[in-house]
Amino acid sequence: MTQTIDIDIRGQICPSCLLLALKELNHHGAAVRAGSIEIVVTTDDRQATATIPATAERMGFRTEVTRLDDGYRIRIFGAT
Amino acid sequence: MEQGYLLIIASSLAIGLTAGFVMHRADFCVTASFRDMFLFRNFFLIRQMVLLVVISMVLFETGRLANVISLYPFPLLGAPSLANAVGGFIFGIGMVLAGGCVVGSLYKMGSGSTASALAVAGMLGGSAAYAEIHPQWSAFAKSTVLLKDAITVPQWLGMSPSALLVPLAAGGGIWLVREFRAGRMSRPGFAKGHLAPWRAAVILALLGFASYVVIGMPMGITTSYSKLGAGIESLFAPAHVEHLAYFSLQPLNYTPPFFDHAIQGGPGPRLDAIAAIQYPLIFGIIGGAMVSALRLGEWRLQWRLPRRQLLSVLSGGLLLGLAARMAPSCNVWHLWGGVPILALQSLLFVAGLLPGTWVGARLLTRFVVR
Repeated sequence: MTQTIDIDIRGQICPSCLLLALKELNHHGAAVRAGSIEIVVTTDDRQATATIPATAERMGFRTEVTRLDDGYRIRIFGAT
Repeated sequence: MEQGYLLIIASSLAIGLTAGFVMHRADFCVTASFRDMFLFRNFFLIRQMVLLVVISMVLFETGRLANVISLYPFPLLGAPSLANAVGGFIFGIGMVLAGGCVVGSLYKMGSGSTASALAVAGMLGGSAAYAEIHPQWSAFAKSTVLLKDAITVPQWLGMSPSALLVPLAAGGGIWLVREFRAGRMSRPGFAKGHLAPWRAAVILALLGFASYVVIGMPMGITTSYSKLGAGIESLFAPAHVEHLAYFSLQPLNYTPPFFDHAIQGGPGPRLDAIAAIQYPLIFGIIGGAMVSALRLGEWRLQWRLPRRQLLSVLSGGLLLGLAARMAPSCNVWHLWGGVPILALQSLLFVAGLLPGTWVGARLLTRFVVR
C-alpha cells in the first residue's frame, strides 16, 4: 500500500513549490524510491510544472503532471 | 493630442501586451533565472537570458549601423558610479524576497497572483520613499562616479562599438549553438499553452528592439513606479510631495525618433513623457498576462499566502522600489537594454545584482520558506 504525502502550495510565492517538494524528497527519498511513499504537489505555479519534474527526474524519481480545475497536480514517485 | 505621442502610447501598449502574454506563457522570470543558479545550481533560465542579451546585442548594433537607431547610447543612461552596483545589490535581495522583479511581478499580478500585487504595492511605497533620501543618495552617487566621460565600454576604451560587440556576439552565438545542440536550451513543459523560454527570449529581444526604434529607448518602467507612488502620496500629503525636490526633477529630456521637438519627463506625479512611454507598457504587461491566463482558463485570485511570505513580498517590494531609484532603473532596463550595448551603469548593476540575489536566496530559505 503506497502512502501519499500531499502538499498544497497554491497561492504561495515562487519558488516555494520546488523548495518544499525537495524538502519532502530529502526526508522521504528512500521510501519514495522504494515505492512505499509518493509525493503529490498541488500548485497553481506554471513554472513548477517544468522545474519539479526536471529536478526530481535528475534525482532518479519519476513524475507525472495532470491539470486540475484550479491548478496542476504533480505526482513524484519511485519504483513501478 | 499630437501624433508622436499617440505613436508612443500605442506602440508601448502593443509591446507591453505582447510581452505580458509571452512572459506568462513561458513563465519568463528574470528573478528565477538569477536565483535558481544559487538556490538549485540550475542554469537553464540564465541561458535564456544570455540568449536574449546576445540577440539584442546583434539587433541594437545592426540597427545603429543601419541608422534605424538614432539615439546611441539611449537616453537616461549616465556616468557609471558605485551607486549602480549598490542599487543592483539591494535590487537582487528585493526581487528574491518579492518572488519576482518589477516586470515579473506585473505579469504574475496580471495572471491573478495577490502575492505579486502586494509586491507591486510595496514597490510603489519604496519608490515614493526614495524621494526622502534622494538628496543624500544623489550626493553619494556623484561622489562615487568612476568615469566622468564614458557611458559605454567602447566609449571608455575609445573603440568603435562594433569592434567590441561583433566578437562578443559571435562568441556568445557559438556558445549558444552548442548549448542548443546539447539540448540544454529546452526542457519539457507540461503547463497548458506552454511557450518554450527560448522562443520567449527571441520575442522579447525583438520587442526591446522595436521599443528602441520607435520610442528611442528599450523597455523601462520604474520611473513610473515613483510617479504612481507620488500620485498616491499626494492624495494624503500634497504639500509634502510638492516640497520634495526629487519629484520636480526632469531627467528625461530627448527628441524621440518620430518627433521634431524635445519632450520631458520625470518621477513627479504629472502626466508627462515618462507617463506616455511607461504607463501603457505597465498596463500592457498586466493586461497581456491577464488575457493569456483567461484564455487558458487559469485566471483566478489566490489569497492563501502564509504570514511569513506576506511579510517577505511586502518587504521585498519595498526594497525593489527603493533600489530601482537608487540604481537607477531595474534589471530589465539594464539586462535587456544596457548590457547589450555594454553600458557601464548596467554592467555595474548586474555585478551588484549577483551577490544581492545570493543574499536574497539565503534569506528566503532561512526565514521565509522553511
